[in-house]
Amino acid sequence: MKQFSYKIIRLVIIVSIALMALFPFYVLAILALTPSSVNFSEKLILLPRLYFDNFFEAWKISNIGQAIMNSLIITVGAVILVVVFGSMAGYAVARVKNKINNAMFLIMLGCMMIPGIINTVPLYTLMISIGGINTHWAMIMVLATNAMPFSVFLYSGFIKGLPITIEEAAIIDGCSKIGAYFRVVFPLLKPVTSAVIIINGLSIWNNYAQSVFFLQQQSMKTIPLAISMFFQQYGAKWHLMAAASMIGLAPAVLTFIIFQKYFIKGITAGSVKG
Amino acid sequence: MLLKNRIISKLHYYMIVPAFLLFTIFFIYPLLRGIGLSLTDYDGMTKANFVGLDNFIEFFNDKRALNDMKTTMLFALGSAPLLNIFGFLYALLLDRKFIGKSVIRTIIYLPAVISPLIMGYIWYFILQPQRGFVYSIIESVSSNAVEFNWLGNSTMALWVIIIVNVWQFVGMTMVIYLAGLQAIPEELHEAGKIDGATYLQSIRYITLPMMIQPIKINVITNIIGSLAVFDIIIALTDGGPGYSTESLSIYIMRKCYGSFTGYSTAVAIILFFIVLIPVIISFKYLNSKNVEM
Repeated sequence: MKQFSYKIIRLVIIVSIALMALFPFYVLAILALTPSSVNFSEKLILLPRLYFDNFFEAWKISNIGQAIMNSLIITVGAVILVVVFGSMAGYAVARVKNKINNAMFLIMLGCMMIPGIINTVPLYTLMISIGGINTHWAMIMVLATNAMPFSVFLYSGFIKGLPITIEEAAIIDGCSKIGAYFRVVFPLLKPVTSAVIIINGLSIWNNYAQSVFFLQQQSMKTIPLAISMFFQQYGAKWHLMAAASMIGLAPAVLTFIIFQKYFIKGITAGSVKG
Repeated sequence: MLLKNRIISKLHYYMIVPAFLLFTIFFIYPLLRGIGLSLTDYDGMTKANFVGLDNFIEFFNDKRALNDMKTTMLFALGSAPLLNIFGFLYALLLDRKFIGKSVIRTIIYLPAVISPLIMGYIWYFILQPQRGFVYSIIESVSSNAVEFNWLGNSTMALWVIIIVNVWQFVGMTMVIYLAGLQAIPEELHEAGKIDGATYLQSIRYITLPMMIQPIKINVITNIIGSLAVFDIIIALTDGGPGYSTESLSIYIMRKCYGSFTGYSTAVAIILFFIVLIPVIISFKYLNSKNVEM
């Protein structure tokens, strides 16, 4: 009996924290699906209607289609850089133990503590001199750089846990030494790569602090910038902001659901055991 | 060693180079220049003059900066411990088998997918005076709803910011703790049970000591993240009322735009040391508690 009531209490707690987590999405849905003529102070609305005009209007005025394209290009580009360079660096840290590698690794880890804002001004002048303001490629470089230390950390932790006999077997079977990395080790990194994609991909997708500096042109705006416009320029258009946010959230939620299967496994092996 | 030589070629030595090169160009180089700028009166336009440590001295006479430093620290002091306590409890709760476990985990992580900026706007909408969700609920039961204005009260506003931040990112700390819990061998708990340990005792004497590594990751990333808080405050209070909930990173951004570029980088360096001190302390402390597997 006692066992049973324990279970019920646990279930109630679990369900309520799940509901808490869903609450912001619920508010977004209600806002996005209610006509802007409805005033929330007059009437408490608890059930979303099926009114989709906000989506069309938000799409039109904020040019969010363009923003999604920009966010996609920047996020995919930066994530590819982080995965390729990060896993290579993680491999070097895990397999080649010498002072130089170790020093480079420690420098990167130490820099994680430095608030990005110290860099913003000199980075801005650097961006101007290399013609990187309002370009995709420079934003990709900047955001990939910010994500690099943590992913090298995760990759090196994960690779340390892989037995070196994997590469040995590959080489005996006729793989070149570098080929052993790209053909045999890299495919084994799926769990940690999922973790890197989720953690870094999301923070790149949601980046605001750097984008607001380096992407000023209307046509270069990413999703967070486009959404903040509803607030800062058009004066708190809640329904449209919510609709635009939901459009912008969809790719992020989708990516998360695709990769989450390996997520915990990747974090376990990449960081906790390391 | 022989085995290693057969596998590691010269090329492997350079595999860290692309990552480090990128990092040097886009992080270390601007960082060094930033340190240089902090010693000048650069305003973003005209030529910079060397002023020595004046910017750093000015910081300690700058009331707004000192207030922002206090706000930033209070935020971190509230946010980092709450994130870790709740993340740990959530992980303990969700570590056991039950139907729908992976769905529930996904749901709890989901708020972290939303950009902090949008999260802030959502909560601003809920809490805004005269118009928000909470206001209309209070209004329907009480007559003096007009007084409801959490975001206009500096103490309450800071709490709101802390709670919204925890609400959003607790899933992230939870995932790291879950990963840690799964790495603990089952036999340890069984051995504890045989020796008569209660549930709480086995958490205290088996789980916690085995969780030093995930605790380290969480505590340190949360301290760093909390002390750099930016987007969520911009969306929720924009630093207000007055400057009372402005964080140091927002102040740095505003000063930087407001043609006090040299000064703003000096403040950023001070922020770095503010981050560094608690990180080193917790690192040292947690390392002293480390158990060897």
